[in-house]
Amino acid sequence: MIELYGIGKTYARPTGEAVQALSGVTLRIERGELVAIVGSSGSGKSTLMNVLGLLDRPSEGHYLLGGRDVSDLDVNTQARLRNQKIGFVFQTFHLLPRTSALENVELPLLYSDRTSTQGLGRRALEAVGLADRMDHRPSELSGGQQQRVAIARALVNEPDLLLADEPTGNLDARSAGEIMAIFAELNRGGRTIVIVTHDPNVAAGCGRIAQIEDGRIVADERLRQESQGAQAAAGEAR
Amino acid sequence: MSTARLVRHSLKAMGRSKLRSGFMMLGSLVGVAALTLVVSVGEGAERKLLATVRQLFGGSSILVFSGGGRLMGGPRAGASRLTLDDVEALARELPGIEAWDPQQSSTEPVRYGGASDTARILGQSERSEQVWGRGVSRGEFFDAAAVAGSARVALVGETVVRELFGDEDPLGAEILIGSVRFRVIGILEPFGTDVHGMDRDDEVVVPISTAMRRLLNVDTIRAAKLQVADPAAVEETAREVRRLLRERHAIPSGRPDDFSLITSAQVQKMVARVQRVLFLFLPLVAGISLLAGGVVAASLMLASVSQRVGEIGLRRAVGARPGDIHLQFLLETAVTTLGGGLAGLVVGSIGAQLVANRMGLEGILSWKAILLGIAAAAVTGLLAGVAPARRAARLQPAEALR
Repeated sequence: MIELYGIGKTYARPTGEAVQALSGVTLRIERGELVAIVGSSGSGKSTLMNVLGLLDRPSEGHYLLGGRDVSDLDVNTQARLRNQKIGFVFQTFHLLPRTSALENVELPLLYSDRTSTQGLGRRALEAVGLADRMDHRPSELSGGQQQRVAIARALVNEPDLLLADEPTGNLDARSAGEIMAIFAELNRGGRTIVIVTHDPNVAAGCGRIAQIEDGRIVADERLRQESQGAQAAAGEAR
Repeated sequence: MSTARLVRHSLKAMGRSKLRSGFMMLGSLVGVAALTLVVSVGEGAERKLLATVRQLFGGSSILVFSGGGRLMGGPRAGASRLTLDDVEALARELPGIEAWDPQQSSTEPVRYGGASDTARILGQSERSEQVWGRGVSRGEFFDAAAVAGSARVALVGETVVRELFGDEDPLGAEILIGSVRFRVIGILEPFGTDVHGMDRDDEVVVPISTAMRRLLNVDTIRAAKLQVADPAAVEETAREVRRLLRERHAIPSGRPDDFSLITSAQVQKMVARVQRVLFLFLPLVAGISLLAGGVVAASLMLASVSQRVGEIGLRRAVGARPGDIHLQFLLETAVTTLGGGLAGLVVGSIGAQLVANRMGLEGILSWKAILLGIAAAAVTGLLAGVAPARRAARLQPAEALR
């Protein structure tokens, strides 16, 4: 699903000084995996997330998404891939204010090539258990509910890959548990999910933990042999 | 990506940010309203000026005023020596003059029953209707016999009618001008305000002889209008008029005239100068209003982009291309400025109508103003939208989401 080969990313500080955010990152993530990327702040995990999500371009190395080299696509093709293949969940939800849950969820459909988008938003909200909150605005929802709306939005175009950046960072323990349960459920359904986090509880819920420090992967372990989702996906592939 | 879907979405999103959209609309509303108002009123004033000039100098004519040409001079001996005989002699000796009308005037209280009004009293001849082009809307103009016999008959303007009679029919009524009794025989055609801002309907016209003998007790007139048959001969005739009048008034050479002449050619020149000023002034005001509206819209839109960096980042993350972001922001500016501009047109037109009513202008709604207003709003919208939209589209999604 995801293959990174020797990915490096160098930023120029405003002072002109170069910062190596990622260097030599090589990582393979199979279809159906639930992976946590952990690391302290400034370790490069957000940069890695941006590269995975095609929000940022690596300075070196190759990134293959679904077997296709996407390291150097033009912005419009990147946008289309993000729209079709990747769903994003952010720490701060990033919901549009004064806009109903349903319309927030339908936002990716606005930029999709689909000819018919009828009922997709509704179905995505039902999948995260918010069928009765369709017309509520973000300000009328709890933090956990807002994050569920954001997950529904990430799912609405039925992407292969779900990227979550500190999805529980702004939530209390109970809501965080609910969100993780949804991720686990989605993963069981065969979806590939990558979660960036520094919360050990969140990481513990994942099948695999990759640790990043100073822009390098320093540890990569599988907690369980294979997640059920990965097996299911492998089964489908055969 | 369906553009229609994005357009619908953007419009809906703007509806949710009512305050921001409202302020953006206000910017172009004020600009376009000011533009419409100024252009409409300016055009109305210009039309009024031309109409007045046409009425005063219809075709080709010469105005003779008693008194010298010094506007600010004090009274001096022989300042008011123009007589009916003078003008009669001019008309007799200069065949180029086809018609003429003398004028004497003063301001007097006019009373009817308990009501009173201070009006401008004009003494004129029966030829006034033809020479000045202002007749009566009801009743009839006085005839030559009335002028010859110093009849106490009066034509009243509509303001006088309103002030004195209210709903009553003024025709046949007896009014007092000063202490002299007059019978109303006609209502003057409405005129409105002249270029000096004087209400030309607050006037009473009586036979010149009656005004001179019974009201003012003078044997001079204030002015006369001479109509010249051949437009090409006006300047030539004016020179003859001057020579004859100096001769009749026995003014030695080297001494200034004790009268002044204005010809239609001079007035045309003056009008052309005024039109040039209006021609420069109106586009200038238009430009300033446009600039003000544009600056307001552009700064609000830029502020909006900075405020919505997160939203832009999110849209990019879920698949918006830079072109989609660009389109959305351009659209927002275009819709708000155009919407504000249209509202500004309405406000400006209403304002222009109010000003017009006050100033006695007519036919105020100017197509030029409307087209200019719409064009101004559109140009403002585009200019104000381009920079913010580009900035929004160029944001890097990774940075915008931080």
